[in-house]
Amino acid sequence: MGSLAYLIAATVGLTVVTVATRSSFFMLPARVELPERIERGLRYAPACALTAIIAQSVFARQGEAYVSVHNNQIWALLAAALVFAKTRNMIAMMVVGMAVFTALRLWA
Amino acid sequence: MSPFGVAIAIWGLVTGVAMVNAGLSIPIALLITFTVFAGSAQLAVLPLLITSAPLPIVWVTALLVNLRFVIFAAAARKAFVMLPWQQRMLAGYLNGDLGFALFSRRFADDTVHGTPEQWGYFYGGAVVNWVAWMASSVVGILIGASAPDAWGLNQAAYFALLAVLIPMVHRIPVAAGVLVTAVIAVATVGFPMRLGLLLAVLAGVAVAVGVETLRPQGQPHGVVAVASDIADEGEVA
Repeated sequence: MGSLAYLIAATVGLTVVTVATRSSFFMLPARVELPERIERGLRYAPACALTAIIAQSVFARQGEAYVSVHNNQIWALLAAALVFAKTRNMIAMMVVGMAVFTALRLWA
Repeated sequence: MSPFGVAIAIWGLVTGVAMVNAGLSIPIALLITFTVFAGSAQLAVLPLLITSAPLPIVWVTALLVNLRFVIFAAAARKAFVMLPWQQRMLAGYLNGDLGFALFSRRFADDTVHGTPEQWGYFYGGAVVNWVAWMASSVVGILIGASAPDAWGLNQAAYFALLAVLIPMVHRIPVAAGVLVTAVIAVATVGFPMRLGLLLAVLAGVAVAVGVETLRPQGQPHGVVAVASDIADEGEVA
């Protein structure tokens, strides 16, 4: 865990990122438009960024890749993904995901 | 509470629990909640903050996750361009996933932009969103602080991120990009300064754009179409 100064600096920067992205095109003159090539890259970046952060958190342990049947987090994530893809129900996804993780943690 | 408020409240609760359960102190979790105001970015940088990843990596990761808001802003700007800059900045700050999806769906066919009805709907939704989000986040932070680490409640953070990710992955280019990103991200976990994260995203975006170029049929074009394509099923984001 970083120092207090690190966490506060991180928070200030994150707030700037929220304001800058959310109000971006609200602040620019109307004649400034999003070029199509940039738009194509922008639309895929969020999905890829979410994937990268989930993959590096769930498929890793202490800074090393951990792709194994003994990685309980992988099974919990797969179960949660299946439930959400089928039902689009966030509560059902959370309950199933946590149930799988807890069952494996206690009995596997 | 409206279904809108309930969806937001679940998100806030999960985000609050995950932040504290991952190891942030209550004051820092509250500070992040009341300033950053972007659940998916808060959850995405959480594993980076607790391992003291370099600040530029933290900020760029949040930026990448938040880039969808740039498209939303480009799509919704017509209703706000005539306002003074302070109001435009505030409206932008409040323009999250769910609010944008509801607003753009409701006024998609309007030919007049910036009407009092549109602003009333937008700010009304924004107030419900803000209150539901802040209240549930604070409750989540207090719950998270009292739950044992072994329960693994911080797992819920990854499930919540899945709820944003899965609705976005409904076309072949983005599916290809996501697959490539996942493989490279896992292969580069040990890279210094978490640079593997950025490498994986760059490769994934390049592959997605490449696949789209090969088979452009059926791809929505223009900011409004693209924004609704991303936001359409993101009901709980």
